[in-house]
Amino acid sequence: MAKIAVVGDSTSVAGFRPLGFAVFPVEHAEQARALWARLSAGEYGVVFMTEPVYEAMEDLIAEAMDQPVPAVTVIPGAGSAGGVGEAKINRAIERALGTSVLIREEED
Amino acid sequence: MTKMRVNPNRMELLKLKRRGDVAKRGHKLLKDKFDELLKEFIARISENRRLRAEVEAELKSAYGLFAVARAEAGRAAITQALLAGEPSELLDTSEKSVMSVHVPIFEQRELAEPGGYSFSTLPVVLDEALARLAAVAPRMLELAEREKAIELLAAEIERTRRRVNALEYVLMPSIAETIKDIQMKLDEAERGNLTRLMKVKDIIAAQEAAGEQ
Repeated sequence: MAKIAVVGDSTSVAGFRPLGFAVFPVEHAEQARALWARLSAGEYGVVFMTEPVYEAMEDLIAEAMDQPVPAVTVIPGAGSAGGVGEAKINRAIERALGTSVLIREEED
Repeated sequence: MTKMRVNPNRMELLKLKRRGDVAKRGHKLLKDKFDELLKEFIARISENRRLRAEVEAELKSAYGLFAVARAEAGRAAITQALLAGEPSELLDTSEKSVMSVHVPIFEQRELAEPGGYSFSTLPVVLDEALARLAAVAPRMLELAEREKAIELLAAEIERTRRRVNALEYVLMPSIAETIKDIQMKLDEAERGNLTRLMKVKDIIAAQEAAGEQ
């Protein structure tokens, strides 16, 4: 039994609240970092965060990367550039294979 | 490659040979594990890329609908409407073992029914936006599950590769070299012994010859 958390600017994440997600609207980086202890305590199985939030607390998340929960997943925020979630996975690929070029070539 | 500091005798030689065999077996096992992990990993990656693109596109379209709703009814009204609802336990988590990596499995329960706002004052597009979010939620969870699995697998692959390399390029060559070194020293001692025996035999023969005369 666990909850799902959504962290991000209020414009992007407000819509999740009526569906039963635990929504944490944050406005700046320190606010997001202060939340992390609570998010990683085990109450939340999945934490969705918008791209700017993820970028603000990347180092904290990297520490918990080898634990099964919480699964931190990057979602696009309203009006953010995109590509951060992709980059996160590419980093994992690079960690595993030593390169991420191989996979891209396979797709082409 | 560095030699180990051991006494060059038969006892150590035997021990090292046994260690070498174990290392070789371990290396083979780890290498198999590594290959299998890699297979799992690569199979997941391209699938994941597609899923992520889909989820991102759908989320963005839902955001677009919310923006339209805000434009129609005003930011304050929408914000207030969306305040309804309590965080609930939406998730059943369990674990599955993939090549002895524990990856989480998320099962989603029924989402809360959005409501608690006035249908007469708020635009219908808000309902649509919420419905779209609700529709994408299961796939967001699938994405979370897959990405976590990929990250955990990546960590395990890195660890396994290090082990394989340490065995292959450090431990096994160093054992092999030490074995060779001990063997050479033992052979050298053997030869020394042989010449000494021959020498002693010559001396004894000379003495006997002198005694007979």
